[in-house]
Amino acid sequence: MTENWKITLRVYRQKENQASHFDDFQMEVNPDEYVLDAVERAWAFHDRTLCFRHACHHSTCGACGMRLNGVEKLACITLIRDVTNNGATLKVEPLRNFPVASDLAVDMGSFYRKMESVTARAVLPVTEAEIENPPSKWDADDSQYLRLSDCIECGLCMSACPIMATTPEYLGPAPLAAAQDQGLKRKPELLSIVDGEDGVWRCHSAFECTAVCPSFVDPARRIMNLRLQVVDMRLRKLFGKS
Amino acid sequence: MDNTRNQPSAGKFWSWFIPIGRQTGGWAFALNRVTAIGLTFYLFLHLAALSLLAQGPGSYDNFLALTENPIIKFGEWAVVAAVFLHGLNGIRIILTSFGVGVTRQKQLFYGFMIVAVLIILIFTARMY
Amino acid sequence: MSKPHVIVIGAGFTGVATAHDLALRGCDVTVVERGDLCNGTSGRTHGLLHSGGRYAVKDKESAVECIDENMILRKIVPQVIEPNGGLFIALDESDLAYAEQFIESCQECHIQIEELNPEQALKLEPKINSKVLIAFLIPDGTFDPLRLALAFAGTAKHNGAKFRTFTEVEGLLTDGVGNVIGIKVLNRASGKSEEMRADVVVNATGAWAGHITAMAGLDAPVKPTPGIMVAYNQRFVQRAINRLNAPSDGDIVLPQRRMVVVGTTSFDAEDVDYIPTTEDQIKLMLERGTELIPGISSAKPRGIFMAARPLVGGGSGRSIARTFKCYDHKETHNVDGLVTITGGKATTLRAMAEKTADVTCAKLGITAPCVTKETPLLSYRQYYATPN
Repeated sequence: MTENWKITLRVYRQKENQASHFDDFQMEVNPDEYVLDAVERAWAFHDRTLCFRHACHHSTCGACGMRLNGVEKLACITLIRDVTNNGATLKVEPLRNFPVASDLAVDMGSFYRKMESVTARAVLPVTEAEIENPPSKWDADDSQYLRLSDCIECGLCMSACPIMATTPEYLGPAPLAAAQDQGLKRKPELLSIVDGEDGVWRCHSAFECTAVCPSFVDPARRIMNLRLQVVDMRLRKLFGKS
Repeated sequence: MDNTRNQPSAGKFWSWFIPIGRQTGGWAFALNRVTAIGLTFYLFLHLAALSLLAQGPGSYDNFLALTENPIIKFGEWAVVAAVFLHGLNGIRIILTSFGVGVTRQKQLFYGFMIVAVLIILIFTARMY
Repeated sequence: MSKPHVIVIGAGFTGVATAHDLALRGCDVTVVERGDLCNGTSGRTHGLLHSGGRYAVKDKESAVECIDENMILRKIVPQVIEPNGGLFIALDESDLAYAEQFIESCQECHIQIEELNPEQALKLEPKINSKVLIAFLIPDGTFDPLRLALAFAGTAKHNGAKFRTFTEVEGLLTDGVGNVIGIKVLNRASGKSEEMRADVVVNATGAWAGHITAMAGLDAPVKPTPGIMVAYNQRFVQRAINRLNAPSDGDIVLPQRRMVVVGTTSFDAEDVDYIPTTEDQIKLMLERGTELIPGISSAKPRGIFMAARPLVGGGSGRSIARTFKCYDHKETHNVDGLVTITGGKATTLRAMAEKTADVTCAKLGITAPCVTKETPLLSYRQYYATPN
């Protein structure tokens, strides 16, 4: 039996050259459906001018990143009952640290440029991917099998990072994680990109990135590991491993 | 490149401080920044106070009288509290920066803060 | 001489692939989309890079299309594909009886298959139903839905195509004798309306094709046919797992990152702007998925959604051919300036675009050949990384 809750969806609205404001939508929802379903219904039946991004509806495209009651989440896999209660208000806002294009849709250009600049891998051999339950030993021909990278480039980490809030120049958790994933030994050209004031050293260990990542990337751990890789490479250079 | 166009947030300067949506690590980060700002401010005060020494015993005695003021006493207590909060969390940052305990950073924070609070309680008992 | 201007309505798979083809043939292309890329049917595709095995027995035309395009996509856009093959598995007598026609049909459609006994199948995929009787390895693959479209769109953008997202078509501009000469759109980001002229308007709105043709007083023979998908929070397998039998509900389970996705069903719907999921279909997916991969019964759902296929032609449900059709409305209704492409499946997006571009270029007097078969696509990130 599906219950019906009555909630208020408080949605951030921002149109070009106008001041931002919040619109309240009174919605009847099934608490076991996803927040994206409610937002979609708000668009379909309440206000066709609402702009938001969504595509796959199952956390593989990364399009529907939003802040729900202030916390970064993918709306498509967040159950309504996990973020609000019957009779309560659910605040829906766009991601932080990106320019807002319209309402809940943000401009991801700078983020994707950063991912390109570190040549982030979209698919990699399964033997190199940090997957769940890897075998104790890979067979010789296992490396022919490819695996989509865990990172879905949703930008939740970039929104949650307090350093990203202070400067758009910082590479950010996802690009740094993507650099770590390739390894500086294998891609030494990444060293100069990540070893800088806008690279690994700008991270101040807030760990918000890992806390909000919906895709098992664990960017904080990767940034710390990348620092060790950077120090390792620099020491080698210093002591003339020519 | 403006990444805050149309964003409603408080802007670059203060947004790190806003607690909405923050989790343990974010709180630890904000706490470390606040204590750092406080301790830096204290450092300048301390140097200014010490410079009074150079002006002879009279002005220094006047300054010492100030320290009986309950507000100043509280300030001193706050400095000690800040030192331990900032210092112990700092040890956590050092550990994680070397890749130690990164996946346990929450537990590390709680652990170190419990130690910090204990030390501060002991100090408070002895001070008051 | 300036390039002819083509407006493509819809930025799903067909729209972005068509923009890519037209841009390479020398057209000035503008794509308008009421939401963002793939927010309709395309984003919610299952993600199966079809080998054609599913259609080999009953729909050979579709099957051959699939295997040919499968091979082409592996070459031109490997960045979004897990080319790990697929399995058709038989679990009961009825499945087993299907095997012979399956083998024959795949051979006829030049789909390479390899027969496996249960031991071999379970060694390859330990988490499938241990009662597997026989299995066939086929050249299926899985792909990332949005990034497949981004790769086409990003390459098109790099070659000069413009993308106007959150731009909704409110009406078609006509020349007074019923021919289409452009579109009237609402820019949803600014709230302002504007008019755009075009030499040809391509209606690539898939399940919504009828909405656009209605604006010219025509109807399009597209039947929106939704189906459910249920994603679960564990991956279990490394390749597509299909039920060896005639196509039916819930007979495909695909890995997608750290999940599996079970699909799908098939039913009619009128309005496909929002299609609610239903308890009975979710339960059906759980049942059927568990038959293929028993572990699914203890996994948790991670995304449940409906997507409306744009099926073309008469009949209903699974009996409609899965192929595609391109209509030049000058020929169908004596309305010039409007072309509709509909039907098809994700795997054949490039072929659909080629056909659409052929029809469009014929109208424009452009003779440049299609080169999309051999043109590798740029990084999918180019779509966002390239400034507008």
